[in-house]
Amino acid sequence: MRLAAWICLLLPLASTVGITLAGTRISRRFAGYLSTVTTMGAFAAAVFDFVALSHGQADDRQHVTTSWTWLSAGPYHFGMSLLIDPLSVMMMLIVAGVGSLIVAYSVGYMDGEDEERRYFAYMSLFVFSMLLLVQGGNLLLLLAGWGMVGLSSYLLIGFYQDRASAIAAAKKAFVMNAFGDATMALALFLLILHTGGLDFVTVFANAPRGGTVANLIALGLLGGAAAKSAQLPLHTWLPDAMEGPTPVSALIHAATMVTAGVYLIARTHILFENAWFIQDLAAGIGAATLLMAGLIALVQVDIKRVIAYSTMSQIGYMFMAVGLGAYPNGMFHLMTHAFFKALLFMGAGLAIHAVAGEQDIRKLSGVGKLMPQTKWLFLIGSLALVGIPPFAGFFSKDGIIAAGLTHGWYGELLTLAGLIGAFLTGIYTFRLFFIVFTGEPSAFAREHFHAHHGKEGPLSMRWTVGVLGVLSTVGGFLQFGTAWHPLTDWLAPVAAPIAEASGTQEAVASILAVALGLAGIGVAWFIYGAKRAAAPAAPRLLEHKFYWDELYNWLWYHPADLIARGLDALVERPLIAGSLNAVTGGFGLGSRELGRAQTGLVRTYALALAGGVAILAVVFLSVR
Amino acid sequence: MTGWLTTLLILIPLAGAFVIAVVPWPAWWAGSLAALTSLIEIGLWITSASKFHFGDASLQQSQRASWFTDLHVQWHVGQYAFSVWLVGMTAIVMAACVIYGWWVGRTRARAYFALMLVLTSAVVGVFTAQDLLLFYAFFEAMLIPLYVLIGVWGGAGRMRATLTFVIYTVVGSLLMLASVIAYGLHEGTFDLTQLPQRSSTWLFLGFVIAFAIKAPLFPFHGWLPSAYREAPPEVAAVLSGVISKAGLYGLLRIAIPKFASVAYDWRIVFLVLASISLVYGSLLAFRAPDFRGVVMYSSLAQSGLIVLGLFSLNDLGFDGAVLQMVNHALISSSLFLIAGMVERRTSTGELRLLGGMARKRPLLATVLMTTGVIALAVPLSTSFAGEFLILAGALQQQWIWAVIGAAAIVLAAMYMLRLISTVLHQDVGSAVPEGALDLRVGELAVVVPLVLCLIALSAWPNLISSHSFGPPSASIQLESGLVASK
Repeated sequence: MRLAAWICLLLPLASTVGITLAGTRISRRFAGYLSTVTTMGAFAAAVFDFVALSHGQADDRQHVTTSWTWLSAGPYHFGMSLLIDPLSVMMMLIVAGVGSLIVAYSVGYMDGEDEERRYFAYMSLFVFSMLLLVQGGNLLLLLAGWGMVGLSSYLLIGFYQDRASAIAAAKKAFVMNAFGDATMALALFLLILHTGGLDFVTVFANAPRGGTVANLIALGLLGGAAAKSAQLPLHTWLPDAMEGPTPVSALIHAATMVTAGVYLIARTHILFENAWFIQDLAAGIGAATLLMAGLIALVQVDIKRVIAYSTMSQIGYMFMAVGLGAYPNGMFHLMTHAFFKALLFMGAGLAIHAVAGEQDIRKLSGVGKLMPQTKWLFLIGSLALVGIPPFAGFFSKDGIIAAGLTHGWYGELLTLAGLIGAFLTGIYTFRLFFIVFTGEPSAFAREHFHAHHGKEGPLSMRWTVGVLGVLSTVGGFLQFGTAWHPLTDWLAPVAAPIAEASGTQEAVASILAVALGLAGIGVAWFIYGAKRAAAPAAPRLLEHKFYWDELYNWLWYHPADLIARGLDALVERPLIAGSLNAVTGGFGLGSRELGRAQTGLVRTYALALAGGVAILAVVFLSVR
Repeated sequence: MTGWLTTLLILIPLAGAFVIAVVPWPAWWAGSLAALTSLIEIGLWITSASKFHFGDASLQQSQRASWFTDLHVQWHVGQYAFSVWLVGMTAIVMAACVIYGWWVGRTRARAYFALMLVLTSAVVGVFTAQDLLLFYAFFEAMLIPLYVLIGVWGGAGRMRATLTFVIYTVVGSLLMLASVIAYGLHEGTFDLTQLPQRSSTWLFLGFVIAFAIKAPLFPFHGWLPSAYREAPPEVAAVLSGVISKAGLYGLLRIAIPKFASVAYDWRIVFLVLASISLVYGSLLAFRAPDFRGVVMYSSLAQSGLIVLGLFSLNDLGFDGAVLQMVNHALISSSLFLIAGMVERRTSTGELRLLGGMARKRPLLATVLMTTGVIALAVPLSTSFAGEFLILAGALQQQWIWAVIGAAAIVLAAMYMLRLISTVLHQDVGSAVPEGALDLRVGELAVVVPLVLCLIALSAWPNLISSHSFGPPSASIQLESGLVASK
């Protein structure tokens, strides 16, 4: 089991190293296959671990394997250790499973790109980093994986290196995540100080309960989680990240990396339970994000950006769940979301791929008629996203909305936000569906559409999307309200819920959510399906995405730039370099004078010597 | 017997320098001999490190011989565990720089290579001298070859750069010399392993200012811009990678252990200066108009970070500082060498004229990208490990220092990514010729080993962090003054 965990982690890394070292000696296609096969190998290892773990005793499902001490100082030791427990195995399955589907899809999608090898090296690096994040046996390794996924996300967003917007988006994503890394690192420093280590067991046992320190620790972790998961107020990088290739958006910015914040809170839930205020804050942030992102998604015209805002909104639900203490519900939604959101992105990718890389929904309009298979798959994804039974989103989302009902007035407020969110989800999802996939194809779509050998895409792209379609349909049956909950039982040793809705609450929430979702679909159909209204001009506030980018420019970038200029002009040049002009001038004069008395060579040394002797004399006098 | 190892580490490069300077070799032979010597030095270091008992806190491989008996000055050299890493880093970086100079084909080869080897010897001497006057002699001996290397082989503004460099360091040196003599004569010995701790503020400041200039620390970094910009790239690499560590080593070996109580009283002053260096350097790096400017100011920031660790005065800070010294030596020398490689192709380092170099140059892109992301301390890299320990230590001193350090993490990401993208990505810069070549084999042979060292350390930073001080932890040893325990 331990060996399998290491194999799972290291196979993708081996693929990165192999592709990098082999360079042009392997074909582009082979790099893609290598990356796919290694990710599938990691998935197989994850499955092995899952089986091994589920055969073990229920109370013996936590294994830590340490290979070497990675870092130590004085009394502190941080091991290179992996953790195999129900939560990490669940994440391994999602990451490696969905990951291998998406990497396989990439083989078709990236075919003919200029630098395919680099792409697959980065993809494998990402899978490695993400596995490190979820398997890390202590918080330091978790942070290491945390930063590495940020790095691979940076590399992949900026994959099209000559596109200035892609490079800018990549930098923005990295810097914003570095901010999250920094707050998380501060939380870790506090934990070292107050618990004497970073192993999960030590930390959870000794963490301060309540009080300022506990709050600060949870706040630092929440900062990291919000940045990585694009939650308010650190969300602005995610829409821009759509500059990357579409499979990257599916893997990193929908299925896996952006949900890492949810994993983090579930993993360290004890630290959050010790600081109930911050945990409530996490839930509130989730609710605020799901509303805001839902509103912005209503007016976007880029197909990938609509899905990106929807991702942000769905992660808002997950944050709400883990903030309320309904950890299994949050993790469940994380899983189903990985299925249907990857499906949506990859379906969008099929459409984009078929229409010469166009992403504007007004130009893509009506492409569904040309691509019937894609249309049906996209419909499955959309229904799952809105939460219409029996598709996956129904089962996972309603549990979250119901969990709010167990948490007093604050929880009821959150439930309300979740219900409004369900309505918005219905509108924006089916706005997208009706505009792009129904009606007559636009002139642009007709002109640019080109089928691959009469199919809607290469085989590698179609079968993977198909598998995700199946998963989005049946993936929800893993758990159903209070009646059937194997996932909650599975996660119970690691993250037992502190909020569990009763059957009645579940039923009420479900009925309301489904009704509102259907209402949203109805509205979308009325405007965009029946009337075929063009996407209207967006209100200014929504178009500017609530002015967050502007705010950060004024809060961080401009001040940093201004202070740097100011320091350069007011301190560095006049004081640091300027004082030296005075000094050199003085020395120059002095040495000229002295030079007259001497031969003139090595003048500075002569002066140095003279000065030295003078000081020495003083010292001798004072010491003796 | 093993005592000879340390002495040999100092003498071998010196002997190489002598042979190169005296015999009228053709340029290529002088270069290859220098390269060979520097590789032998690495081999010698490996031998020395493999014979070193890291579990033992005492001075090892030491050799002592009387020099001036009436002044009690001795040839006393030896290594503590942390010296081993600093010597190793010196040997590796110097070898890379010597080989780069050889590959580039520096003019007046015999003088050039002899000076580089003398410099190696002096730096190793600084890291191993256990007699205060001997330490001072080596500390000053570094200056002479540097003076000539910048003044003769430097860029257009080299004379001014040399002058400012010399003035700054000489001022520091004089203060230190005064302290050395007053300290030694007062105690009747110059032996560092026997000198007792003192609580004299003036002596402490005499040492510390010299070290702060070398490190450099804000506001003593005035010599930095011109020296780093005008020096040949491999000399700039040596300056920022290795020479600056002599100043930091001085803090670790002399200022903090010998003046423990003064260092404790003055810690706030140095934590403030370190924080300013860190933030100030990061901000200026973000605005710097040229490749070397970014690396240079980031070096100032890294110096600040290391001083932050040292003056945290706890195990996390000390272990982290030693680790980060080695990391930074490898990182900044790689970056300066890469800067030189870029400048060779474009004849400029100005960022607004660069861009788009990644296209068709995968090797350059991979090497710069890898070094760059390690330089910005991406988690899991060895520089992340060092930074993490230092800031964890700083938080135990007081929370504010860790918060400032954490802010600098974000700034580091900003300036490094700016550097990477303005050189490698976006539109092709006007100074980048269409046919500019990818890295050649000779260049790879210089920079790839440095990067591989960084990657290896990233897999196991504990190699240094837990093998820098023996079993009584770093803070205990330094508080008791690092005196020889018999």
